[in-house]
Amino acid sequence: MAISRKAKEAIKTALAMTLGYGISLWLGWDKPMWVGFTVAFVSLATVGQSLNKAALRMMGTLVAVVVAFVIIGLFAQDRWLFILFFSLWIALCTYMMEGAKNQYFWHVAGFACGIICMDGGANSENAFGIAMLRAQQTGLGILVYGLVSALLWPNDSGKAFAASVSGLVSTQQQLYQACLDLMLRGGDSKNAKALQIQLIQQKTRFGQLLDAAEADTLKVWELRRQWRALQSQVGAMAASTARWLDEIGGGTPLDYGHLLPGLKPFGNEIDLRLSMVAGMLKGQMPKQQATAIKLSLDKDKVRALTSFQKAELAVRRSQLQQVDDLSRTLFATVRDLQGFGRTSARPPAPAASKPSFIPDLDRLASAVRVMATLWLAFLAIVYVQGWPGGLGFLSMTTPIGMALAGTPQVSVRILLAPVAVGISIAAVAYIFIMPQLSSFAGLGLLIFAITFFVCYRYSEPKQGLGRAFGLAMFVAIASISNEQSYSFLVVANTALMFPLVFLILAITAHIPFSPRPERIFLRLMGRFFRSCDYLLSSRNKESTRWMAAFHARELASLPQKMAGLIPQINPKVLPGTSPAQLQAIVASLQSLADRMQGLAEASRYTQSMRLPKELRPGVSDWQIAVQKTLSNLSGDPTSGNKDAFQSRLSGIMAVLERSIQLELDKGGAGRISAQDGENFYRLLGAWRGVSEALITCAGSTTPVDWAPWREEHFT
Amino acid sequence: MPTPHEFAIAGVYMPPMLVAGLFGVIATALSVRLISHYRWSKYFAFPPAVFLALMVIYTVFFGTFIIGA
Repeated sequence: MAISRKAKEAIKTALAMTLGYGISLWLGWDKPMWVGFTVAFVSLATVGQSLNKAALRMMGTLVAVVVAFVIIGLFAQDRWLFILFFSLWIALCTYMMEGAKNQYFWHVAGFACGIICMDGGANSENAFGIAMLRAQQTGLGILVYGLVSALLWPNDSGKAFAASVSGLVSTQQQLYQACLDLMLRGGDSKNAKALQIQLIQQKTRFGQLLDAAEADTLKVWELRRQWRALQSQVGAMAASTARWLDEIGGGTPLDYGHLLPGLKPFGNEIDLRLSMVAGMLKGQMPKQQATAIKLSLDKDKVRALTSFQKAELAVRRSQLQQVDDLSRTLFATVRDLQGFGRTSARPPAPAASKPSFIPDLDRLASAVRVMATLWLAFLAIVYVQGWPGGLGFLSMTTPIGMALAGTPQVSVRILLAPVAVGISIAAVAYIFIMPQLSSFAGLGLLIFAITFFVCYRYSEPKQGLGRAFGLAMFVAIASISNEQSYSFLVVANTALMFPLVFLILAITAHIPFSPRPERIFLRLMGRFFRSCDYLLSSRNKESTRWMAAFHARELASLPQKMAGLIPQINPKVLPGTSPAQLQAIVASLQSLADRMQGLAEASRYTQSMRLPKELRPGVSDWQIAVQKTLSNLSGDPTSGNKDAFQSRLSGIMAVLERSIQLELDKGGAGRISAQDGENFYRLLGAWRGVSEALITCAGSTTPVDWAPWREEHFT
Repeated sequence: MPTPHEFAIAGVYMPPMLVAGLFGVIATALSVRLISHYRWSKYFAFPPAVFLALMVIYTVFFGTFIIGA
């Protein structure tokens, strides 16, 4: 009989849980439930993913031990200083865990510190014992689960990783072809957009599998630097293609085939290059090397274009050259990785120096929220007599508060069912079955059965919450130890603690901002336009580098955050709003963010260039019109008036076009070098892109009825 | 007014305040649903505070006049 993958994974976790408990009890260690927690939370789909998570848990626990010793050592005599520094540490961990890397490490470093501080309390000897016990139980859980997952039906990430890399390169190749077709022939961009979404998903999966493969596949570990380089190159190429696709979708295309005579061979060369990259990943030797391709212009045909068309052509050409550059680097990296010759590619360009720390406002808000949660819980414990759980209440609030701090819009109601199910299973086992058991044979069977049931029933990734609470409740309520005692109060107190934890979380979700998803959406939209406004008004000012980096990061991250809010916005409470309208808004903001980045890049080329003075008023008028609109939108993101803005910009563009023509007629072209001319067109193209994206933004907000968004209602 | 007394379910005694609180939460949830349905919530400056206040009012009401907490 073939056993399904789902059943195999459930058996592995259940076996590790049973063995972990068995060894801990046999060694006579106190609190064996901590082994149970470790096994329950580190088990993932592949050995590598589980070992990665296990390593983060272990490291987090060790850091938590040190921090807990410091807090207990310095502030054990003053509870207010104690909770102040403890909550500051948890706030720091919450801020860090919402970053891109090592989220689980920071989560564990926070809540494990809470467990040691609260269990150890003011007694330093006790705290030391608790901390050591926590560390060794965590280590035991990791060891047992690691061995079980490596020996029993091992499921390493190597194959999945190889398939993911090939899939990623193949999708990139298809997307490139789709973009080129779109550029040459125009038409519907639906297919290209679908490929783009597929590429984003594959890129995320590739990142996860690379983490896992580094841990469980020796070949990947040895070449990890090259794989990481490949990851960043694929990311850069995906971003470049996304910008390209975004800018070519819509409008009448220029006759690129004639304007750029070498475009066809250029397209074929890139296509062949990407095919060879895919082939090399499958172990096939490349037929030829990747060499730089120059994309020349047909000067006669270019002369016949208007200035804005020339600008558009300059931008497209620069994008194609960028694709050539990136695909060559990708080719060299894969050739090096697969051992088809050492790379002779140029050394990587030095990265532009970035400010070392750029705060994230949403992560700061999460840190404030989690601090408020801890303080409220602590005040309740101190001032409400008989508060269930005592200081243990704080240890329970900390991990849940940290996990939910980043998503205040998610109601704690979603936790009610998993907690209720978890408590019910645990209560039945604890009250009715466990008192009948007299040896580890029976107890082991019970542990195995319950763990298997929970893991099998909640095996899908989206059921993670059910699985986590199901196992955690069983482990916490059963409180298995060598001197087992039974009390109904354990179940009652645990069950009672949760409504109180949820009440506190429901209150602090309003700190510092409203948790209503539509309010968050509006707030983020306002922030987005403020950042655009800032970046446009402070261009080329060296003194504002740090602020510019902050706002650039805001632009890059806000559309994604807003897209994540759309499924949580309830259209029933907001008549006149549909998810499709909100998606259109987010897409238009993403497009504006991309164009803003394009403008920043174009501005870098033209920093030293002086515009002919006849053109300055036109460019300046344009800049002022865009900035004024952005300034209005940042004050009220819903105030976009597409028609008014479009007619104003069209007027300015017509004047500018005439000025450029006059300047060229006067022989201005001779006064501007060829390079400066190209850069000027590139800048002009970037400005045009920004204004067009802004018009689309203003247009996308018009169909939504914003009045209900501002109305107060119960969440 | 009712005399304060404990609640026993299957031999498990529960504090009357817990029962009053449970009824308070249920009554508040129903009231809030009604208020939202008729879109009266737009007249409140901060609905979450109203939710909390209603919960306290209902709990005190049930505790004092019905259960006798």
